[in-house]
Amino acid sequence: MERQRRFLSEKDEYQFQHQGAVELLVFNFLLILTILTIWLFKNHRFRFLHETGGAMVYGLIMGLILRYATAPTDIESGTVYDCGKLAFSPSTLLINITDQVYEYKYKREISQHNINPHLGNAILEKMTFDPEIFFNVLLPPIIFHAGYSLKKRHFFQNLGSILTYAFLGTAISCIVIGLIMYGFVKAMVYAGQLKNGDFHFTDCLFFGSLMSATDPVTVLAIFHELHVDPDLYTLLFGESVLNDAVAIVLTYSISIYSPKENPNAFDAAAFFQSVGNFLGIFAGSFAMGSAYAVVTALLTKFTKLCEFPMLETGLFFLLSWSAFLSAEAAGLTGIVAVLFCGVTQAHYTYNNLSLDSKMRTKQLFEFMNFLAENVIFCYMGLALFTFQNHIFNALFILGAFLAIFVARACNIYPLSFLLNLGRKHKIPWNFQHMMMFSGLRGAIAFALAIRDTESQPKQMMFSTTLLLVFFTVWVFGGGTTPMLTWLQIRVGVDLDEDLKERPSSHQEANNLEKSTTKTESAWLFRMWYGFDHKYLKPILTHSGPPLTTTLPEWCGPISRLLTSPQAYGEQLKEDDAECIVNQDELAMNYQEQAASPCSPPTRLGLDQKAAPQTPGKENIYEGDLGLGGYELKLEQTPGQSQLN
Amino acid sequence: MEPGDAARLGLGRAARALPPRLLLLPLLPLLLGRGLRTAAAASSSGAAAEDSSAMEELATEKEAEESHRQDSVSLLTFILLLTLTILTIWLFKHRRVRFLHETGLAMIYGLIVGVILRYGTPATSGHDKSLSCTQEDRAFSTLLVNVSGKFFEYTLKGEISPGKINSVEQNDMLRKVTFDPEVFFNILLPPIIFHAGYSLKKRHFFRNLGSILAYAFLGTAVSCFIIGNLMYGVVKLMKIVGQLSDKFYYTDCLFFGAIISATDPVTVLAIFNELHADVDLYALLFGESVLNDAVAIVLSSSIVAYQPAGLNTHAFDAAAFFKSVGIFLGIFSGSFTMGAVTGVVTALVTKFTKLHCFPLLETALFFLMSWSTFLLAEACGFTGVVAVLFCGITQAHYTYNNLSVESRSRTKQLFEVLHFLAENFIFSYMGLALFTFQKHVFSPVFIIGAFVAIFLGRAAHIYPLSFFLNLGRRHKIGWNFQHMMMFSGLRGAMAFALAIRDTASYARQMMFTTTLLIVFFTVWIIGGGTTPMLSWLNIRVGVDPDQDPPPNNDSFQVLQGDGPDSATGNRTKQESAWLFRLWYSFDHNYLKPILTHSGPPLTTTLPAWCGLLARCLTSPQVYDNQEPLREEDSDFILTEGDLTLTYGDSTVTANGSSGSHTASTSLEGGRRTKSSSEEVLERDLGMGDQKVSSRGTRLVFPLDDNA
Repeated sequence: MERQRRFLSEKDEYQFQHQGAVELLVFNFLLILTILTIWLFKNHRFRFLHETGGAMVYGLIMGLILRYATAPTDIESGTVYDCGKLAFSPSTLLINITDQVYEYKYKREISQHNINPHLGNAILEKMTFDPEIFFNVLLPPIIFHAGYSLKKRHFFQNLGSILTYAFLGTAISCIVIGLIMYGFVKAMVYAGQLKNGDFHFTDCLFFGSLMSATDPVTVLAIFHELHVDPDLYTLLFGESVLNDAVAIVLTYSISIYSPKENPNAFDAAAFFQSVGNFLGIFAGSFAMGSAYAVVTALLTKFTKLCEFPMLETGLFFLLSWSAFLSAEAAGLTGIVAVLFCGVTQAHYTYNNLSLDSKMRTKQLFEFMNFLAENVIFCYMGLALFTFQNHIFNALFILGAFLAIFVARACNIYPLSFLLNLGRKHKIPWNFQHMMMFSGLRGAIAFALAIRDTESQPKQMMFSTTLLLVFFTVWVFGGGTTPMLTWLQIRVGVDLDEDLKERPSSHQEANNLEKSTTKTESAWLFRMWYGFDHKYLKPILTHSGPPLTTTLPEWCGPISRLLTSPQAYGEQLKEDDAECIVNQDELAMNYQEQAASPCSPPTRLGLDQKAAPQTPGKENIYEGDLGLGGYELKLEQTPGQSQLN
Repeated sequence: MEPGDAARLGLGRAARALPPRLLLLPLLPLLLGRGLRTAAAASSSGAAAEDSSAMEELATEKEAEESHRQDSVSLLTFILLLTLTILTIWLFKHRRVRFLHETGLAMIYGLIVGVILRYGTPATSGHDKSLSCTQEDRAFSTLLVNVSGKFFEYTLKGEISPGKINSVEQNDMLRKVTFDPEVFFNILLPPIIFHAGYSLKKRHFFRNLGSILAYAFLGTAVSCFIIGNLMYGVVKLMKIVGQLSDKFYYTDCLFFGAIISATDPVTVLAIFNELHADVDLYALLFGESVLNDAVAIVLSSSIVAYQPAGLNTHAFDAAAFFKSVGIFLGIFSGSFTMGAVTGVVTALVTKFTKLHCFPLLETALFFLMSWSTFLLAEACGFTGVVAVLFCGITQAHYTYNNLSVESRSRTKQLFEVLHFLAENFIFSYMGLALFTFQKHVFSPVFIIGAFVAIFLGRAAHIYPLSFFLNLGRRHKIGWNFQHMMMFSGLRGAMAFALAIRDTASYARQMMFTTTLLIVFFTVWIIGGGTTPMLSWLNIRVGVDPDQDPPPNNDSFQVLQGDGPDSATGNRTKQESAWLFRLWYSFDHNYLKPILTHSGPPLTTTLPAWCGLLARCLTSPQVYDNQEPLREEDSDFILTEGDLTLTYGDSTVTANGSSGSHTASTSLEGGRRTKSSSEEVLERDLGMGDQKVSSRGTRLVFPLDDNA
């Protein structure tokens, strides 16, 4: 008897697991379909539908089938008993069923009106993921990959603008969306579509912050393919990446904003607490992410791990993951930590890796990014039908569409205007229009919205977010190519070509760049660059001047300890080494192998060029800001063409 | 019953709502039968409780957050362990210390952390309440609990034997680092097994296929029975001595025999690989251990499924026995088919689309298809791990040839990394489990019995089978090889995963503990003793196919010691029996051309009446090199490229291709004379293959040879 019962429960468990397999299988199948379709599209050079759009379409179709073609199954016996003894919900529950004790683990709370989420359809229930999966499993690789593939030179050139767009822009857009939505909510209350008091101003702000996370993968993919102007690319990419981090932290701070008395009133203390929270979490996550990357850089520098690329890759992967977990464990935001970890890894660790590992890590994260991204978009399509608590409110949706356009405009145009005051190399009107146009919403907005769908306002936000993502990905994503031609934005200027093409306009470009970079990167950045080049790079990588020369006398032993033998070997060469590293990294980004074999001869050539430069300290300083990199690059290209 | 009915009525809406099967339930009532409050009271509890419930909600939320944080910490523990392992391994590799493999090291670190967690963390009191429920007679996977108007969802974690209730909850941290055993089967083992299948060295594997299959199937069965019987004796003894405190049936003994038959000589293989030990020995050991795992999994699940019909559930029952055998065969062949089919589908997709222009898409497709195999097999009730193994082999055999060069290295590297991480994770978990697992049953007699049994089982498996195989093989398995194989009976991840899967009963807990100790012992002692053993047994080292051609050539000389090429031919023919010969020709004539770009065009091999189909399926590339003689070489090129890639040596690839180019030209001359199909057929069986390769290597590296 006892044995039989065990059997029964084993069977139940078995079925449970088997269902998990089926559900994953559906996703696998969808992804395979997406891949094949995308291949077809790419093969025929259709650009109007990106893979993420395709994934959504398939997700929609599958959701439709699941929703309407599967019969709602009956429940065998569902009785809700209630428990008088439990005053709270413990994390573990032991249940004694006729002398057999089972252990249950707390999963989540279900609000009352959600208790019958799936109208008895087991499959729909199974197809719904726990939202935390997005934050713990799917988003980290995407974000890390974004950080890891930020193109360094262009990114740092435009750092000021990018930071402005990301921080100020997101704040503006959050507030503008929040205000507009509040207006619409008031109108809805007026029209009788909403009860008063359901939808607070904080809810509106919450919506605003989650809607501020732009994610123009589609646009960027097309830019990449068409080799659009690198400055525009960097601006958009950098903005969207940092955007996400800001939006995540902002959302969190808004959700913990809880004034003491009236939840709707403004409370200075609570407000400043939220602001402090924002800053604390952001800084903490930043520190955590970079600390792990620095540890990785040191480890890869001082061990000869590069003899075993697999170990190296494993270490790299594990440490990057630890950054995420440590941040989560410390109560910070793992995703933000991972982002900065990625940026730092790319900046330092990457240079220490063996060639093989460079390839491996790039490819590994590229692959994971691809899968995770498509899973999310697939799930979005699916969620439109399988999520059962949708609240579609026409007025709210209309308002949201309006709000995001207005907010995007308020974000881009004024900020660009201000930035143009400072920039020598202005952001032209067509770039601004393009950036305005590229305000797509994607994975982050979705993940933030699905994280909490307990209350009615949150459900309304979720439905609206879903529709916004669909609309922007399909319409804007599909319209990118026409838009590019209409705005007359240069295409076909890939970095590599850029290099080959520029020598002709070398002189002017050079002068122009020089002043631009100087003006743009303010005092703070100049300081940072000097510091980075003189201290951080030599400590963390094999390049840069030996520490013995840059550090003051009294810390001689430490500096000798920290300087790698390579640095002594090429006292003068470091600049080029760095540049070479840069270059083959860039080349790898573009997966063009042709560029790499030519480095040794070029390096020789560069030595002579670089030698006279080094003495003047001032010169190095400036050179480093971006100009130096530029100049060296430019020198290098003639060598390259000779070779070719 | 009255209150029960009321509850049913009142919460009817909620009840309807619950998705079937998975959930349900609610229950709970309490320590006493009368505890059911009426539904009306329950649903109306809202307003009054609002204040306190808000507080509670906050408390639970905090708790959930806390639990998430702890999850992160426990994962972090493992990751730091792995990081440490990697660094130490680097040191060891760097200094060429060979006595400790990374897996052994991972276990040591796991042990240390286990000790710290066990004795260094304070015991926390869990907030558990034991409630008894009289309404339901089965457990559900999901539980909805209504706590004063709020619904909480709970998921089933496991069954706890009644005696342990109190000891379960003491230490939160210990519980956190204990994983659901299914994690091993669903997440960690598949990449390991797939990688094993994907990196089976094809040529050597197929040359020794007969012996490998004999060792894997017959050997595992023999070892399972012998261990089972010995252990039954030990158990009887324990009963007499009075050390056994609970039931232990014969089927349990057999189950133990099955799980412990899964050998996993990673440690030994890693050393072989590093020292370039004899390739045949390597192939025998590796092939055996890989197939072994598959057999052991299916065997153990069919032993579990052995359910005699009569009253005495542990007597022998012929019907149930044959049913178990049937289950074994069914699951095994089902999983095999599933794996092979998805492999074939992937091959077809990669062949007929031009996906290789986009390596990322190709890699993703490859990964997803391979993963689907696992899921599909699980969904159909087969064994996912076995399916994945055969999928890996099929992928390596066919799909691999269709991939672009970049995708080849990507897939290899991807699975290598996954395999590496998963393996070390499992081993460090093993170390941890010795201290964090709370239900250990150490029984010295049983443990000693198990040690004796595994050695006897291994001996009874290797020596007689080798004797029989040597009757058939021309190229005998030498005594030193036999001793080495006997010695390499390490137990590893698979035995552990099978043992941890079910630790509900007393017998199973004892098995788990014993398995853990056996794994420790074999990995540390036997793994550490491999290098001395190799030199003691006079096994040649430094002969690896990729240490490449020159030594390879030597190895051929040695192998062919008595009589050169002709003998090799005979040997291979001898070993690969009629069935394999058939398979080879079928593979070469039909499967390869259908699934890959190599092989003779189907239009020539298929009968005339299916010409249209044949034209459809043959890839244009094959027509380009129409000459039926060349495709063998192209096949060979692929094989060789494959081998070199397995070793991750990029320099060889260039050599290989240029070499085979020369080889092809000379071979064409050599073969043109033999056009009768019979001969071509024979040549294909392996002799041809071998000849090509040996010749290829000779031709390629004349300089090295002469020098």
